[in-house]
Amino acid sequence: MPHPLSDLQMLENRRQFFGRSTTGIGTIALASLLNGNLFAKEKSGATPRVGGLADIPHFAPKAKRVIYLLQSGAPSQVDLLDHKPSLEKLHMTELPDSIRNGQRLTGMTAGQKKFPIVKSPWKFRQCGKSGTWLSDLLPHMQTVADDICVINSVHTEAINHDPAITFFQSGHQQPGRPSIGAWLSYGLGSETENLPSFVVLLSKNSFNQAQPLYDRLWGSGFLSSKYQGVKFRSQGDPVLYLSDPAGGSDANRRVMLDRLAKLNQIREQEIGDPEITARIAQYEMAYRMQTSVPELADISTESESTLKMYGDDVKEPGSHAANCLLARRLAERGVRFIQVFHRGWDHHSNVQKNLPTLAKQTDQGSAALIADLKQRGMLDETLVIWGGEFGRTVYSQGNPQAFGRDHHPRCFSIWMAGGGIKPGMTYGKTDDYCYNVVENPMHVHDFHATILQCLGINHERLTYRFQGRDYRLTDVHGNVAKDILT
Amino acid sequence: MLNTTKRILITLPTLLFPCLALADDKIEFNRHVLPILSNHCYVCHGPDAATREAGLRLDQRDSATGKADSGKSAITPGDVQASELIRRITTNDPDERMPPAEGHKPLNASQIAILKAWIKQGAGFQQHWAFVAPKQPKIPQPKNRRWPKNNIDHFVLERLERDGKKPAREATRETLIRRVAFDLTGLPPTLEEIFEFVVDQNPKAYEEMVNHYLASPAYGEHMARHWLDLARYADTNGYQYDTEREQWIWRDWVINAYNKNKPFNEFTIEQLAGDLLPKATDQQKLATGFNRNHGITIEGGIIDEEYRTEYVMDRLVTTGEVWLALTIGCARCHEHKFDPISQKEFYQLYAFFNQVPEKGMRGFTPSARIPSPLASISVQKNKSELARLKLELKKSVDVDPFLNQWAKRITAQPESGWLVVEPTTMKSSGGTTLKKLPDHSVLANGANPRHDVYDITAQSDVKKITAVRLEALTHKSLPGGGPGRHSNSNFVLSEFELTAVSLADPSQKKTVKFKKAIADYSQKGYEVDKAIDGNATGNNGWAVDGPTRKLPATAVFIAESPFGFEQGTELQFRLRHEAGFATHGVGRPRLSITRDAPSTIKLQGIPSNIRQIAGKIQNQRTKGEQKQLRDYFLAHHNPQQALKQRIAAIEKQIQAAVPATMIMQDLAKPRATFLLERGQYNEPRDQVSADVPSIFPAMAKTVPKNRLGFANWLVDPRHPLTARVAVNRYWQRIFGLGLVKTSEDFGIQGELPSHPELLDWLALEFIRSGWDVKQMQRLILTSATYRQTSHVGANAYQDDPENRLLARGPRMRLDAEEIRDAILATSGLLVQQLGGKSVYPYQPKGLWLELNNRPSYSKEYARGKGDDLYRRSMYTFWKRTVPSPMLKTLDAPEREFCTIRRSRTNTPLQALLLLNGPQFVEAARKLAERMLIVGGDTTDDKITYGFRLVTARMPSDEELAVFRQAYQSELNYFNSDKSAALKLLQVGDSPLNPKLNHAQWAAFTSLTRLFLNLDEAITKG
Repeated sequence: MPHPLSDLQMLENRRQFFGRSTTGIGTIALASLLNGNLFAKEKSGATPRVGGLADIPHFAPKAKRVIYLLQSGAPSQVDLLDHKPSLEKLHMTELPDSIRNGQRLTGMTAGQKKFPIVKSPWKFRQCGKSGTWLSDLLPHMQTVADDICVINSVHTEAINHDPAITFFQSGHQQPGRPSIGAWLSYGLGSETENLPSFVVLLSKNSFNQAQPLYDRLWGSGFLSSKYQGVKFRSQGDPVLYLSDPAGGSDANRRVMLDRLAKLNQIREQEIGDPEITARIAQYEMAYRMQTSVPELADISTESESTLKMYGDDVKEPGSHAANCLLARRLAERGVRFIQVFHRGWDHHSNVQKNLPTLAKQTDQGSAALIADLKQRGMLDETLVIWGGEFGRTVYSQGNPQAFGRDHHPRCFSIWMAGGGIKPGMTYGKTDDYCYNVVENPMHVHDFHATILQCLGINHERLTYRFQGRDYRLTDVHGNVAKDILT
Repeated sequence: MLNTTKRILITLPTLLFPCLALADDKIEFNRHVLPILSNHCYVCHGPDAATREAGLRLDQRDSATGKADSGKSAITPGDVQASELIRRITTNDPDERMPPAEGHKPLNASQIAILKAWIKQGAGFQQHWAFVAPKQPKIPQPKNRRWPKNNIDHFVLERLERDGKKPAREATRETLIRRVAFDLTGLPPTLEEIFEFVVDQNPKAYEEMVNHYLASPAYGEHMARHWLDLARYADTNGYQYDTEREQWIWRDWVINAYNKNKPFNEFTIEQLAGDLLPKATDQQKLATGFNRNHGITIEGGIIDEEYRTEYVMDRLVTTGEVWLALTIGCARCHEHKFDPISQKEFYQLYAFFNQVPEKGMRGFTPSARIPSPLASISVQKNKSELARLKLELKKSVDVDPFLNQWAKRITAQPESGWLVVEPTTMKSSGGTTLKKLPDHSVLANGANPRHDVYDITAQSDVKKITAVRLEALTHKSLPGGGPGRHSNSNFVLSEFELTAVSLADPSQKKTVKFKKAIADYSQKGYEVDKAIDGNATGNNGWAVDGPTRKLPATAVFIAESPFGFEQGTELQFRLRHEAGFATHGVGRPRLSITRDAPSTIKLQGIPSNIRQIAGKIQNQRTKGEQKQLRDYFLAHHNPQQALKQRIAAIEKQIQAAVPATMIMQDLAKPRATFLLERGQYNEPRDQVSADVPSIFPAMAKTVPKNRLGFANWLVDPRHPLTARVAVNRYWQRIFGLGLVKTSEDFGIQGELPSHPELLDWLALEFIRSGWDVKQMQRLILTSATYRQTSHVGANAYQDDPENRLLARGPRMRLDAEEIRDAILATSGLLVQQLGGKSVYPYQPKGLWLELNNRPSYSKEYARGKGDDLYRRSMYTFWKRTVPSPMLKTLDAPEREFCTIRRSRTNTPLQALLLLNGPQFVEAARKLAERMLIVGGDTTDDKITYGFRLVTARMPSDEELAVFRQAYQSELNYFNSDKSAALKLLQVGDSPLNPKLNHAQWAAFTSLTRLFLNLDEAITKG
């Protein structure tokens, strides 16, 4: 005798299985088992996709994808984005204890006896119709000021690079949790069958004190390893092992795959394991990637005017500008989460020499990316983010004449633009010392919650059961910064 | 017993736990109710008092049936209507409805029905199964008496029969030998092994085949490889700089322990607390490297205690996962939300692991040089040679004739050399304590200011001084025993200055200008001339790669013109440390002067006082002078020098062969442990003492409350978890999933065992056998359950995708290491050398430097040569921040933390790796070479030979037809493009065999690439 309660539970279990199954069945085969895009059908209007959780998106998304320009090493907010005329008066005065208010210091300045405030040596100006304040170190960004939202109130607990960047990437300071991109691949699935849904681009680094990066920053933590980011490299094969071995040819590659598929099919019929069908599908996707990836990396089809927007660097593989352009090309091809890592912002000394170099490396490409997405009508569905893992101290590290700035977690600035974000806005305020947030604080967890919100995800409901606990990107925290959303 | 007409079997995970929907089904608390309460209610009504609402806990019957803060009872056994819980989970009032909407965990109708039925039936509670020690279950007697081969099968078959299911037939002998070979050695069977087994008529042939692989040294490697995931073993320190460590001797210990079949209880005690055993042997100490495999940071600026705390946390969390399968870490910041482990109990466990004399920054000690139990014969040879040479060195030699000859010789030479000056005053601008040592060097300690200027004065009557020398010596009190004061052992000397003042007339002063500086070592970008360029700001100065080098360094500063006043000179040296790098002082400077002509100045040289003594006739020297001269001579020109050099060389070889392994050790005076608020290192609260959680049997009164006591407690036969957790992991290794699927979590939130009684029986059998690990593998592998075929058709896979009911044999993709090792083995390339240092096989260029190119903290991957390219994958150098792409692509973890279950994915990147990776293409051409040379006469013979090496079976006619056709068309292609053939045959370092026909060889290589990419090739079937 059938029973309505049991039917209900059966549905529940089906969803749970298809949504959560982490072993055995590959995404593609799963979709084919399910008669194509079962999940997409459940949500009206959603783009066809493979994999992802059945109940996601939770509501209509504003952004379809994310391009995150991560500035590793921590750029100085007080010299780039947080305009502080109040420092004119405070210049070379001592940071009061009442402002420091017990903030722990890194081992690098913990022994310092004086904390003289150093104002920014660079001019800021109000830009565009919005009048957003931006430093003259960012002349190109000044031209797109009306398209971005500057957030001056980001804060974190971490005071050193490894825990801080791990926190930004995974919502936790110690290794072990999935990265944002992995969460998105798991929750939202993929919109391309020719490319991975989470792609990582690394800028070539020229600053000899730059902080290293690590695979875990785009890792999948406790999620299935299929969700980890795939590096597109600027040297050798863009994707590892993409090229046929020497002596192979396109023609016999296809023939070989057909033979392989045939042989695998023979076994599949005999054994019945759907994993074999999935394997055939993966070899097909590999084959498609062998065409789609070189095509993607080849920017010769870009118009001169586009290349000019990104600047001369764009022709230099691995430059920030080249990666910004590649990011746009990946976005066009349905890649969900594209993260560009640019290193070298860790200026413990000689800010005056080092900061302009880094600003120059990143300014034009970032601005061009915004303008380029906009002219293609993609900006409103692409969330673009620029920022580092913490900020830098307003006081001088070392001799104020050749001042450096140490790590500062209490306040720092990023900008966000595009899909779901109000343009031409400045959000959050810091005190006169650029030391503490005084209005609209945005913690790392809030930042994550806000990104997910733009993508149509309630951050409290994107969960994964691991070791008995339903983990979230935002742990048990996170408030969406509603004021900056469209 | 469930009414079968009402029971609805759901395919998928609930298959094992049929859903209950109707009130008259018998409800079992652990199986049906607990998962609902735990998932939906315990966060607010569970063990954690801090987040408990309404004074109600639903994990304890007394509270659940007693009065909550509201005065109402959540549960009134037997009375659904009177139970407030039911009212609250069914009310339509959103303010009252439980669970609250904001938690996003609503109950569905079926769950509500279960709770109602449970209350109606009396609301019985049960203790969570995993916290109750296993009891010997009755061996079930299934109807089919012929099928079972051992007790495992009784449990499995009884469960199948209950569902009206039948086991699958036995797999073919080819399948079985391949399955067993992989499960016990991680390698495919050889053709000889296959032939022998397939035709073996002996009724015990299967058991003997299993025993054969259990006895193989490759067994120890394979078992150890699994242990390395649990132990988060790596060859680097993790965190951001991820520098290298040498912990592989500990890995050798694990391999050896498995091969020697060390019982699991002894294994446990030695891994966790070998150092604390009475009269612990070196090998027992070595074993404790297990809990030193965690990451260690060297990031400048970190706070020492913050990271030391993380290391202890890692140790406890890892130990908890590996031996208890409990998520102990959940109680770090607050009471465990689900399992009965309080935050206080967490820190009581923490206390066991909090006693290591270690640091957070560069916490590489304690460590010890202990030889590998697999140490090669060459090490033994070296040791006996060393003993012989040392004996020879003891034989006395008459030094005097040599000494006199030497003294004569140096006296005849023009005077030269360095005179060490004795400091008279020493002052630090930053409050550093400067102390003069007997050798006239100055040791810096105490305060370590950001910037510091040392003012050191000395007096000398030497005139015409041409140069001064600064030796930056090392000292054991300095960080890392290096030359600098920074925690990374480096210094940055921004500027070196000297003023000469006349002793007779202090108004006569001369600032000594240096025209040139030379050094025996300078860090790139921090050359010694930067110390005399007049620029003390920025990062401009002399540094010596302290982090990597840790050796003394010497600089010589040559004056523009000779100096020194007639009636003596006060030399006022100034060492300025004012670079952007804080706390980078020189640790132990020593200053010397010379009169040598600038062109002949050497960094070292015979000190002037020695030269002076040598100039005297022997009987005019004082006793002290004679001794000084003799000591100097012996130190620098000992006639036994050659012998000594050989000894040093051998000692160095032995040291290189035996690097220091990090091991555990306890402080003599225990470190106090405190409960840490929110798990924060800097928020200690009440002090706690080491103990185990009260949910478990108490530690025996006779054992000490330290790690050793803890380890003994784990392997007490009455412990409810240790044996179950271990056998479950063996089961997982072999069948792909454990009997408890969540092998990392046996707690309340974990999955229930699919075959609880089988799990208990295996656990008790394990203990009864004396924790015999090989016997446990043998038991599982000789069961009929294991020997079933996996070729059961699509319906069976759809019915039970994860094979939880065990109605078929295991079938799953091989692990990363197994895939690579199998391909090396079938191609004949595999180098089977047991144990040793990690190796560097092929890897695409630039992977390390693109993530980290910081000078002194980074390097390019140093790809190996020869044998190193073909060792088993468990020896591949494991860099945590950039693991080997070959292994990582195939789901190997980063090893930044303990991994109990790897993912098993199926991705396009894996296809690219297997199709195009040089290691795999090279193996394909070597396999093709084997086929051509020894594969038989005809093309069919050769194809069959190669195919069988890869799959263990014969190809079917249909397959053979595909292969023949493929071979022919590839042969045509390579005949038409000989250069393509040649290119393909030169992938990898293996030499090109000139005797073979290249087109034919290349065509077979295309074929072997096909073989190696078959689903079957990378799957255990």
